[in-house]
Amino acid sequence: MTRSLRLSAACKAGEIAGRLSVKLGRGRGETLSGRVILAIDPNAIAKLSENRDIVIVSGTNGKTTSTKNLAEILRNFAGEGVSTSQSGANMPAGIASLLAQKPRNRFAVIECDEMYLPDMYQKLSPKVIVLLNLSRDQLHRTGEVRKVSNLWNQAFTKDDVTFVIDRDDPFLEFAVANAGHVIRVSFNGRRHPDAATCPSCAAILDWSTGDYLCKCGLGSKLPDIRADRRLSGPQRNAALVIEAARLMGAEILANEATKLIDESPDRIHEFVISGKKVPTHLAKNPESWRQALSDVKADQVVLSVNARGIDGRDTSWLWDIDYSALLGKKVICTGERRLDVAYRLSVQGIDTEVAGSFQEAVAAFIEAPIQAIASYTAYQDLLALELGLTTGAGESK
Amino acid sequence: MTLEIVRLYHDLLGTYGDQGNAEVLIHRAKARNIDVNLTEVTPGMPVPRSGDIYLLGGGEDGPQFAALEMLKADGGLNYAAAGGATVLAICAGFQIIGDSLPDSNGNKTSGLGLVGAHTIYDASPRSVGELVIQPSRGGLPRLTGFENHQGLTLLGNEMSALGRVLSGVGNGFNQQEGVWHGNVFGTYMHGPALARNPELADAVLQCAAGPLRPFEDPFANALAFERRSTLAGN
Repeated sequence: MTRSLRLSAACKAGEIAGRLSVKLGRGRGETLSGRVILAIDPNAIAKLSENRDIVIVSGTNGKTTSTKNLAEILRNFAGEGVSTSQSGANMPAGIASLLAQKPRNRFAVIECDEMYLPDMYQKLSPKVIVLLNLSRDQLHRTGEVRKVSNLWNQAFTKDDVTFVIDRDDPFLEFAVANAGHVIRVSFNGRRHPDAATCPSCAAILDWSTGDYLCKCGLGSKLPDIRADRRLSGPQRNAALVIEAARLMGAEILANEATKLIDESPDRIHEFVISGKKVPTHLAKNPESWRQALSDVKADQVVLSVNARGIDGRDTSWLWDIDYSALLGKKVICTGERRLDVAYRLSVQGIDTEVAGSFQEAVAAFIEAPIQAIASYTAYQDLLALELGLTTGAGESK
Repeated sequence: MTLEIVRLYHDLLGTYGDQGNAEVLIHRAKARNIDVNLTEVTPGMPVPRSGDIYLLGGGEDGPQFAALEMLKADGGLNYAAAGGATVLAICAGFQIIGDSLPDSNGNKTSGLGLVGAHTIYDASPRSVGELVIQPSRGGLPRLTGFENHQGLTLLGNEMSALGRVLSGVGNGFNQQEGVWHGNVFGTYMHGPALARNPELADAVLQCAAGPLRPFEDPFANALAFERRSTLAGN
């Protein structure tokens, strides 16, 4: 009795805290609500996940979109409520909050931050874990790609979970080396920019065939599923999501799968700034910038880069990206680290200017198509502005 | 004259945007009408012995040792450095060019010995954050960079640091940061350290190409100024 009493008190207090936070205009309240729940009942996550069918989605890029897509598929398939992460709240507090909201929903699709995944893997007892990709991201916080891959490798030892992975990513292949059940999806190989050496034995990997096979055996396991064509990053994530949905019992026909893959969007939001439409990519690391740059069609481009905590305080990664897609276009850099990106572009021979704010940058452009790429907090600031929320200090709402 | 720049094992030693240093050097050399040829050395390729500037970047432990073993076996970098070639070694690269460093298992292993320096790993937390240093030579101004490393590096008595630490960790001993010995530069300011410090880029270029004419690069100067003034209070 004490066990469930503590949990219900925790959930009630969390709900009140969350509502208060929303009332004060401080966002959607998930994080605060979850913190209160975990403060009162530190075991709340494990308790709230009992008797539920849980899927976890993790990886460097595409977590939020993939989580949303998977929840949508399961909702259509099950015809019942599916609990899912909102707005990328992917740490323990956000996860506790979402599980507490609709405790009777059988399905939960949970986005999880890479560093918290080993802990959540234990506490959530998921049926399926989808690992999308691993590449350089926020080096100051998560450390190197190998560190995450190692952490996962040591954690994933249970055999009551099925992993769905992109086996072309050697960091993921190593991460699940000790796991019981793995569905390996291959997209016919592609060179991983961070995997010059084997994540397992550190030998130099031979990528001359566009694929890897280390002498230690990493990469030797045959894929269970092989894609029949080249896919972009977001499309690969969609393909992995479909396999996870099938494992959860969803019946998805081949033609439906093709449609889902083709329509898989990247994280793009169309902001309207002084009447001008600006489709904006959220991109926060070299891989997602490469993807976003390959989608730039407009001749007027705004790049907005901050380096606050969650963006990664180190901007060195800006030099890991080839910006030649921007050659010949009119580019304006903004954000707190606009000079870092502007200098990077100028060294590559791309004409650029800087502007004090996103609004100023857009104002400098004519009405023709404009596209933007924004780092995490720059994107969040634009969203907050659109919703009339304030972020931290500044003008009142 | 064509300036020969050699980028060593960028796939192994390039975790933090280090290729930016080659691009900045090329950019600043071309602005002075100096022709540049960039050679990318990949695993299995011999290291050219007649390069003017050799670049080593940062990397994770595994790749760092793969690179070290290849450089030892090849001998080309040691040969060129002994002949006075310029070397810029960042982070893991800086550790490699010293006398000794710990291998992946923590055992002491020998480095390339281009500079007198011993790297150790202790139990202290990883050094991560902005680094500000004051060089004492070459008329260099205050320099800034981002550091992210586990090892600490003790310089031999005959060595001079690149600068004195004003904020951050640097080598972790005696307020020293990096090394500047002859034409060899080492630093924990990782990634495109030369992008944030155009004067350091020119100091490296001058070692190889001699006196340079002045070159005003507005974005480079603005970036260096912005970083230095933002970090001045730290």
